[in-house]
Amino acid sequence: MSAPSHSAGGHADGHGHDESKFQIYVQIAMLLAVITGVEIVAVFLPFPKWVLVSSLVVLSLVKFLFVIFYFMHLRWDKPFCTILFFIGLVLASGTVWALLALFSAEASLPLPTP
Amino acid sequence: MWAFLASDCMFFGVLIATHLVYRLNPPAGGLDPKLVFSVELTSFSTFILLMSSLMMALAVTAIQKGNVRSCRWSLLTTIFFGMIFLGCQVYEFQHFVVDKKMTLSNSLLGTTFYTLTGTHGCHVAIGVLWLTLMYVRSFKPGAGSAQRTWLSHQLLHALAFLALLGLCLKVTLGLVHAIQVEPTLGAAMGHFVKAEFLAMVGALAATAACGWFARPRGPVAFGEANAIDVESMGLYWHFVDIVWIVIFTAVYLLEYL
Repeated sequence: MSAPSHSAGGHADGHGHDESKFQIYVQIAMLLAVITGVEIVAVFLPFPKWVLVSSLVVLSLVKFLFVIFYFMHLRWDKPFCTILFFIGLVLASGTVWALLALFSAEASLPLPTP
Repeated sequence: MWAFLASDCMFFGVLIATHLVYRLNPPAGGLDPKLVFSVELTSFSTFILLMSSLMMALAVTAIQKGNVRSCRWSLLTTIFFGMIFLGCQVYEFQHFVVDKKMTLSNSLLGTTFYTLTGTHGCHVAIGVLWLTLMYVRSFKPGAGSAQRTWLSHQLLHALAFLALLGLCLKVTLGLVHAIQVEPTLGAAMGHFVKAEFLAMVGALAATAACGWFARPRGPVAFGEANAIDVESMGLYWHFVDIVWIVIFTAVYLLEYL
């Protein structure tokens, strides 16, 4: 949420740009729906687990990036907004990674009950 | 708003990490998520939330062009999709608790699952409330119009709209419940009408009240100047959507591998 670095579909760009932006939004929404469908089908396919996990992570990341850069206008906003959001995102990802690494360590597993 | 969203990223990051930590080290004798989750319902919810994001983006574009009417319709559609998502979540929770016997406190899966998805559901509910208030705000009369009665009128408008949303949710869940408990469609309809008659009458009355409050009454003080308000609300709504994108994969889909 900031003043766009250049007009993000505003009236100044004219009717043609508004039309193209509408089409971009619809195309991205359709693409996101298709990716979701692919994800759902993929989990039932007989591929190795690491392939499926990697595919799901990549597909989710693609959806995530499409939403933040197009629907949330990061592509057209000031770079400061991207930096601000990615600081939170990197900290969150780091926390998730650290917690997963910490709790998968042998020393953190629960002791066997006598 | 971006700073708030960045902080919310960390909040959800910790909740997702907690869920994953317990799922990677499941206690003996715990529930099997594959027997509890319904991938069909969750996929439908995901699709609905993605479409609501599209409508929200269109609402922002419409108000940037000063097209109030189009913005209102896009906001209404977003609210509608948000309510469908919440309805699916309420139904899912009820199904898990009653039929699958997974409660907040009887398993680690239940504790982390309800905390994570419930927090996300609260965010969606807050988003729906915000959208409703923005929709009602779009009727604020322009200078020289009935400014004095605007606040009381629009408070009643918001209440009527929220009542309509709540009653629609109740009626929909009542219909789903009737279809589940009755053996035939005819019996289900009889059960549904008997149980939800008052709610249906209330929903009709609330619809009429909303239509009355939304009747055209001259120029409104809502336009391109308010684009920044709609855009910040849109950012919040899209954020809720991206959190669900991660939850859908991390909590639901990975369980089926």
